[in-house]
Amino acid sequence: MNTSATLSNSMMLVLLIGATDSVAGALATLLLFTVAVSAYGLCMTALRSRLSGESLLPVSLVLAATLASCGEILLQSASFQWHQLISLYSGLIGLQCVVLEHNGFFRLPISERLRLCGLFAALMTVLGVLRELIGQGSIGQHLSGRWQGLILFADGLHFATLAPGAFILLGLLLAARQAWTRPAPPEEKHHP
Amino acid sequence: MNRTGSLITLALLAMTGVGVTCVVQHSNAPHIAAERRQLEDRKLLDVLSVDTYDNQPLEQPLTLTDTDLRHSLLLGGYRATRAGQPVAVLLRSQTEGYAGRIELLIAVDADGRLLGVKTLEQTETPALGGHVGDWPNAWLQTFMGKSSKQPTDAGWALKKDQGQFDQIAGATVTSRATINAIHDALRYFDEHRTSLLGSAP
Repeated sequence: MNTSATLSNSMMLVLLIGATDSVAGALATLLLFTVAVSAYGLCMTALRSRLSGESLLPVSLVLAATLASCGEILLQSASFQWHQLISLYSGLIGLQCVVLEHNGFFRLPISERLRLCGLFAALMTVLGVLRELIGQGSIGQHLSGRWQGLILFADGLHFATLAPGAFILLGLLLAARQAWTRPAPPEEKHHP
Repeated sequence: MNRTGSLITLALLAMTGVGVTCVVQHSNAPHIAAERRQLEDRKLLDVLSVDTYDNQPLEQPLTLTDTDLRHSLLLGGYRATRAGQPVAVLLRSQTEGYAGRIELLIAVDADGRLLGVKTLEQTETPALGGHVGDWPNAWLQTFMGKSSKQPTDAGWALKKDQGQFDQIAGATVTSRATINAIHDALRYFDEHRTSLLGSAP
């Protein structure tokens, strides 16, 4: 894995750990992320052929900043409550576009891009559900002003809503995946 | 593509970007401000259940007189009405806790009984007196339905002070200050009942 891939992956980690303390936060981040990244991808497809190598970075910066700010304002206007949950991270999504661009994400074939985005979305949702369930004993609180969310038990393990808890959960998820995909060890032979 | 072309593209894009952002911001600003105000109001007003009133209490603050009470200071008051009839008065009360000021929002119904109390601001010790800031708050709910005369003046105190209320564990000063502020507010309501409720009985 080269340096820029590591950089890009660790940038993803900020959203994955920071914005998933509730289902509503995870979904709002995901929505903003999807809209910003797809709009960015579309604009860049049109622009890329007209740009020389060195002007690519400033152009992508300007474009990402515009899209992220417009997305944030529109989210604020559509649902202020959702924006409150993720206001800290909405600015990062612009930076995410630039890092992805730098990392060659937008030059990957479309199926590969969709696969990566789907993986990210699944991971965000799973982490959001797990953290809210363990941390607050509910699913989908704050999703809307009218609906209280599915409250399963009253008091949760507060640790799960904090960043260290998220790291541990993510670690457990990765370990579970590894255990799942690892080929079964060959059966031991008995030597008489 | 040559350098000038790239620069022109960049400049055009920057101008478009700034322009679009400005337009979006400008067209959405009033709506966002209204949403924010509504959310703040809802946070303040959740001491009352939504279906008990139909006005905008925060938009018509009451003018209070003699706000310097025995243990606390009243910062403001609002009247909640339903179909023109006053149903509750909200009093913003400030008192001195263990570590600093505690600001409470105290809701009193038209008969002088407590409808609810919510802590708006506090800097008490976390995990001890800081529990006064929790919402929903089981301890503050023990005061629901009480009035300034029921229990008696002697009863309006902690069990430690021969009163009838439990305290927040490990936070005597905080609990005492809160109880006194609530009692003050209920007494104030009784003394200024007509002006707080307006012309209606």
